[in-house]
Amino acid sequence: MENFRLLAPLAWRNLWRNPRRTVITLFVVSVGLWSVLAMASFITAWAQSSRDATLRLLLAQGQIHAEGYLDNPNIDRLMDRPDATLLAALNAPEVSNWAARLELPAVVQSEYKTLPVSVVGVVPEAEIRISSVPEKLVEGRYLSGPEDDGAVIGLNLAKRLKTALGRRVILMITGEDGWLEERSFDVVGIYDADTAFEDTYVFTGQTAMQNMVGVGDKIAQIAFEVPQDDALSGVVDSLRAAAPTLDIRQWRDLSLMLGAMDASMDASVYVWMSVMMVMISIGVINTQLMAVFERIHEFGLLRALGLKPGHVLALVTLESVLLIGLGVLIGMAMGAATVWGLRDGIDLSAFSQALEAFKSGEVLYLEIKPIDYVIFPLAIWLLGVLVALWPAWRAAKISPVEAMRHAT
Amino acid sequence: MQHKGNEMTAIVSCKGITKVFGKGELAVHALRGIDLDIMEGDFATLAGPSGSGKTTLLNMIGALDHPTEGEVTVDGQSLSGLSKSALSDLRLQKVGFIFQAYNLVPVLSARENVEFVLRLAKVSVAERRSRADAALAEVGLQGMETRRPSALSGGQQQRVAIARALVGRPRIVLADEPTANLDSKTTGELVDLMYRLNQDSGITFLMGTHDPRVMAHSKRHIEMEDGQIISDTRS
Ligand SMILES: Nc1ncnc2c1ncn2[C@@H]1O[C@H](COP(=O)(O)OP(=O)(O)OP(=O)(O)O)[C@@H](O)[C@H]1O
Ligand SMILES: [Mg+2]
Repeated sequence: MENFRLLAPLAWRNLWRNPRRTVITLFVVSVGLWSVLAMASFITAWAQSSRDATLRLLLAQGQIHAEGYLDNPNIDRLMDRPDATLLAALNAPEVSNWAARLELPAVVQSEYKTLPVSVVGVVPEAEIRISSVPEKLVEGRYLSGPEDDGAVIGLNLAKRLKTALGRRVILMITGEDGWLEERSFDVVGIYDADTAFEDTYVFTGQTAMQNMVGVGDKIAQIAFEVPQDDALSGVVDSLRAAAPTLDIRQWRDLSLMLGAMDASMDASVYVWMSVMMVMISIGVINTQLMAVFERIHEFGLLRALGLKPGHVLALVTLESVLLIGLGVLIGMAMGAATVWGLRDGIDLSAFSQALEAFKSGEVLYLEIKPIDYVIFPLAIWLLGVLVALWPAWRAAKISPVEAMRHAT
Repeated sequence: MQHKGNEMTAIVSCKGITKVFGKGELAVHALRGIDLDIMEGDFATLAGPSGSGKTTLLNMIGALDHPTEGEVTVDGQSLSGLSKSALSDLRLQKVGFIFQAYNLVPVLSARENVEFVLRLAKVSVAERRSRADAALAEVGLQGMETRRPSALSGGQQQRVAIARALVGRPRIVLADEPTANLDSKTTGELVDLMYRLNQDSGITFLMGTHDPRVMAHSKRHIEMEDGQIISDTRS
C-alpha cells in the first residue's frame, strides 16, 4: 500500500510527460471501445427492430398448426378451432393476442396474368391486434368482418396483375373435394409492405373463404403473441401441454432465416470487438515500449536509488492501468453519450426504401445492454494491461549499470 | 584487520576485485585485482585516465554490479551472493549516490526527489518531510523545494542530488564525476559543500573525478590505471 502511494503519483505524472502520445493512446482506446459499444447497441437495436417488424407483419411470435401442415400446407392438414383447454391457455395473461387463420396455397388470376399466392382467411377484429398489415393499407379499406368476401392484396401484386382497387380478380383454391374451387373477388384494399410479402399474401374474410373451399369452420393456424420475448419458451411449453397433438412453434423455429440473422448480428459485434482488441493491443504495446525505451536511464537511476525490479514492473504496469483505464472511461462516457444523444430514436424512414430488404422498423432505439457495458470495457482494460506487461517486464529487467551507461 | 578504540574502521573493503566484461577475444578486463579499504570519514578521490575502471569500481562498491572475482564488503556486510532485491535494500540503507548527470526524477519536485529514498525506506510522512527540507536547506536550496528539476540549474540539480544522497544517512556517498557538467565556479561551490559536509558531519565520500579542483580538496587520493590502483596517498 505504501508502495502504491509512492508509485501511483509517479505513474500518473509520467503519463503526462508526453501528452501527445498519451492523448493518441487515449484516443485509440476510447474510440475503439466507443465503436464497439455503439456498434453493439446499433446492431442490437437493428436486429430487434427488424425482427419485431417482421414478426409484427404476419408471423407473430409463435404459431400453432396441425401436425404436418408446415411441411405441406394443404387442405388435408387443417386443424379444428381451439378446444376449451387450448382456448383457456390462449386467453391466459401470458398470451397477449392471438388470431386464427385459414391459409391455403392458391392461384390468382386477372385478365392479364395468373400468379401463385397464399390466401389467408382472417378474422379482421383479431388480425388488427396481431398484425401490421391492416395499418399498411394505401388504398381502399381492410376487411370488415369474417364474412367479408373482398380481397386485400399487395401493391406489387396489383401492379403485376395490372389490376386496381374496385376491379375483380379470380382466386383458385383446391377444395375439400379435391376439385379446384374458383371464385371472383372484389379488390377492396391494397397494402404496402415489402415486395416479396406483397407478392405472396392475399387476404379475405375467414368465413367467406371457409365457405368457398367447404371446410366448415376449420382453420390452418393460430398465430399468437406474448408480452415478453424472454417468456416465449415457457408459453410455448404451456400451450403444448394444452394441445399435445398440435405443432406449436416459436418464431425462431418458424423462420430459420430470422433466427440465423439474430445470431449473426451478435457474431458481427464480436468480430468487430476482436478487430478493435487487436488494434488497441498494438497501439498500447507500441506506446508503452516507446515510453520504456525513452526512460531507460531513468529506470537505471531509480534502480540505483533502491527501487526493486518488482517496483519498476509495478510502476510501468500502473501507468498502463491508468492510461487504458482512463481511455476506457472516456470510451464508456462516449458510448453512453451516443445512446443518450440518440434517445429519441434514429429515424430511418428516409432510407426505408433502400433498406426494405432488411425489413427493419423505421425508427431505431439504441440501447447498450448492461452486460455489454461491463464486459467490453473490462475486456479491453484487462487486455491492454496484459499486453503492457511485456514492456513493463522489459523495464524491470534493465540492469542499473547498463541503464546508467545509456545516454538519455 | 583489527580495530581498536578510536582507530578508524573500514566502511568499504574490496579484496581481490576483478571485473571482466564480455568473453573470449572480446573480453575487457576493466578491473584487475583491486584491494582497497575506505575508512570512516574519508574524503577520497578516485582519478585516472578514461577507461581506467573508476566507474566500474564505484559500481562494485555501490552494489550496482557484481565483481567477476573477489569480495566487496560494505559496512561489515559481504555483497557476494545477495539477491537483486537484497542489493536494492543495501543501496537504500547504506549508500548514497551522486551521478554525473540526469540524477533526478524529472516528474518529481526537489523535495519529492529527496523524499523518494525515505519513502522507499518507509520513513514516516512527518519525519521525511522535515528531513528532506533540512537536507535541502543544508545544500542551500531553501525556497526551491517545490521546483521540478527542469526549473533548476545544473549546479542546483547536483545539490538536490547531494541532499538526496545524504538524507538517508548512508555509510558512504559515492559520486561519479559529480561536477563534470558544471562550470568552474559551480564546481568550486559544490566541492566546498561536500567538503564541509565531510568535515562537519563526518560523512564518508568517494568520488571518481578528472577534475583538479576536486582533487585539490581531497584528503586521500587514489590513482587508477588500466584496472589497477597505482597509488593511494593521504594528504
Ligand atoms: N558494461 C560494460 N560492458 C563492456 N565493457 C564495459 C562495460 N562497462 C565498462 N566497460 C569497459 O570497462 C573499462 C572501464 O570502464 P569505466 O567506465 O569503469 O572507466 P572509467 O575510468 O570510469 O572511464 P571514464 O573516465 O571515461 O568514465 C572500459 O574499457 C569500458 O569500455
Ligand atoms: Mg567513468
